[in-house]
Amino acid sequence: MDFRLPPESVELAEAVREYLAGTHGPDVLRRLDAGGNRDLRIWQGLVEMGLTGLLVPESEGGLGMTLLGGALIARECGRACLAEPLVDTALVAVPWLIARGETDDLAVIAAGEKLVALPHAVNPWVADGEGEELASVDPLRNLVAAPEDAGDDPLLLDLGALMSAAQLVGLAEAMLDQAVAYAQVREQFGHAIGGFQAIKHKLADVAVALEFVRPVLWRAAQAMDDGLTSAPLHVSHAKYAATDAAYLAAESAIQVHGAMGYTYEVDLHFWMKRAWALAGAWGDRNFHYHRIEDAALGGAHPLGPQHTFA
Amino acid sequence: MDLAYTPRQQAFRQEVREWLAAHVPAERLVTLERKDGFDQHVAWERELASGNWGMVTWPSEYGGRGLDLIEWLIFEEEYWAAGAPLRANQNGIFLLGPTIMEFGSDEQKARFLPPMAKGEVIWAQAWSEPGAGSDMAAIKTTARRDGDHYVINGQKTWSSRASFADWGFGLFRTEEGSQRHKGLSFLLFDLNAPGITRRPIRQLHGDPGFAELFFDEVRVPVENRIAGEGEGWKVAMATAGFERGLMLRSPGRFQATAARLMALLRETADRASPGLREEVVRLWMGAQAYAYNTYQVAARIMAGGSIGAEASLNKIFWSELDRAMHRAAMHLLGPAAELQTLPDGSANEWLEGYIFSLSGPIYAGSNEIQRNITAERLLGLPRVGAG
Repeated sequence: MDFRLPPESVELAEAVREYLAGTHGPDVLRRLDAGGNRDLRIWQGLVEMGLTGLLVPESEGGLGMTLLGGALIARECGRACLAEPLVDTALVAVPWLIARGETDDLAVIAAGEKLVALPHAVNPWVADGEGEELASVDPLRNLVAAPEDAGDDPLLLDLGALMSAAQLVGLAEAMLDQAVAYAQVREQFGHAIGGFQAIKHKLADVAVALEFVRPVLWRAAQAMDDGLTSAPLHVSHAKYAATDAAYLAAESAIQVHGAMGYTYEVDLHFWMKRAWALAGAWGDRNFHYHRIEDAALGGAHPLGPQHTFA
Repeated sequence: MDLAYTPRQQAFRQEVREWLAAHVPAERLVTLERKDGFDQHVAWERELASGNWGMVTWPSEYGGRGLDLIEWLIFEEEYWAAGAPLRANQNGIFLLGPTIMEFGSDEQKARFLPPMAKGEVIWAQAWSEPGAGSDMAAIKTTARRDGDHYVINGQKTWSSRASFADWGFGLFRTEEGSQRHKGLSFLLFDLNAPGITRRPIRQLHGDPGFAELFFDEVRVPVENRIAGEGEGWKVAMATAGFERGLMLRSPGRFQATAARLMALLRETADRASPGLREEVVRLWMGAQAYAYNTYQVAARIMAGGSIGAEASLNKIFWSELDRAMHRAAMHLLGPAAELQTLPDGSANEWLEGYIFSLSGPIYAGSNEIQRNITAERLLGLPRVGAG
């Protein structure tokens, strides 16, 4: 029993955080929003970091990391509000293809030369797919209508939900950081507004929510890595809790920004919109709630302190 | 990351479970906020100690088993799942004990820790004063040096367990005229010493759980001071960290409550509104999240890390989770919620628990103070006003 994140995964995630902070700031999001939405140079940078091959086995030219390691990177993608479809291809499609024994494309995916956009019956859209375009609230999200024959593979759903939850955590963390930064400099009544308890306590509540969603996320990823039969329950817990944390962070952050928060000028809106989008992706809050209720209240999952890691 | 218990940990769980099954009193004890109930709880502490279960993480020389934090969490999980009594000893083993372990001299460890682990000496805490609640640095009670003694004069209040306990610990102003955090010392004192008057305070539930303490020229030997003279604030902050952090409220307690709440929901499913149903499931998720977080912190501490201001996040989370779980139970019970004895003849533990849960967001530093600490020390927001 050792609930510590693997140091090598944490180090890689920190390197990715630093790289994205330096190359993928709000100015980039504005440029993408102004035209194009996707930028091959950004994608190439991610490929050079090895991120397209994160979960691809080393024998196929990848890094062979675990889903837990992948979730740590998905969180960084959320934090940076990354628009490129890295998570869908490298962290959702790749492990799904590996589980199905479909390994032909892995080397090409790791090399960054192939994107995989997978439909699922739970989603009315496919992100970065081909077909009839749908408009998302998120200006950097490219959606097309889902095909009518989309499958409903449960593993694919869990992978999509896990990595969405991880991105939601990163998005929420970034929104909290933005609100804190604004509260430190915005002055009213002769003080930085961050000195007022009404602001402090609102942002402290976001910090509390995040502190208690992160371990749920790591536990869900590890449950999938360990192949636990209870993994879907833990993934649903992570998605549900991450959704609530992201909505709380977004609403708290816009409130702290005041009227500025309600403008297109402040960066916050990119993160809020991505959070709203991902909250409904790969099983919405209702879907995941029912899975949790069925398992926990229905009696299939043992309750009580002795079953913490069941 | 490895989220499976080792065979040794599983065997330990089994050992704890079997001992508790054979020893936990079949009859529910009277509340420890009353003298008769307190005596029953002290007897239970001694029963625990007879099995060497007083405080499993302490070294064996102090009456423990030298176990690690994971084993402590397993012990706590089994303890609360078994429906074992509240710990009369909690101020000692979870707050003062770790403090003495960190700051005490070898003599103090040998003198105070073994009787604490055995339940022979029950400790009360004495932090708050009428003018020093959330603002603890406003302490006024003085401890004047007189040779090899301190002479205490003043008043403490909201002193948990003090109506019936044997000894107390707290912060006193040892430097005349000192201000705020300076000039305070951490002293241990015999509650039966001449000059101490205890006035039990009737609590919300009607029983005298805590007390006011009046000190009139109370002589305390200098060797009862933990750490140096004037270093009391530092020592007290460490104690407060233990209280808010890992030790005071292990997840097993809240997971046991959450499991009982889920069972209550099943019994009352035909009347529970959909909103209440989802609330209960959410609260169970919260108890799980608290457990995962604690295991993560425990793993970090075992690897040489520490718990700092994050302890404030913990305290906010468990105290508000506990209150919300008991509130949900009150709603599920509906018209029976007000009854001291439920229609099936059992004591209404949810009512008692709800009343107690209202103290959680207040004691050990109110949650407003915890939110300030979170905002200032973890988020880096500016301090305004309070010094």
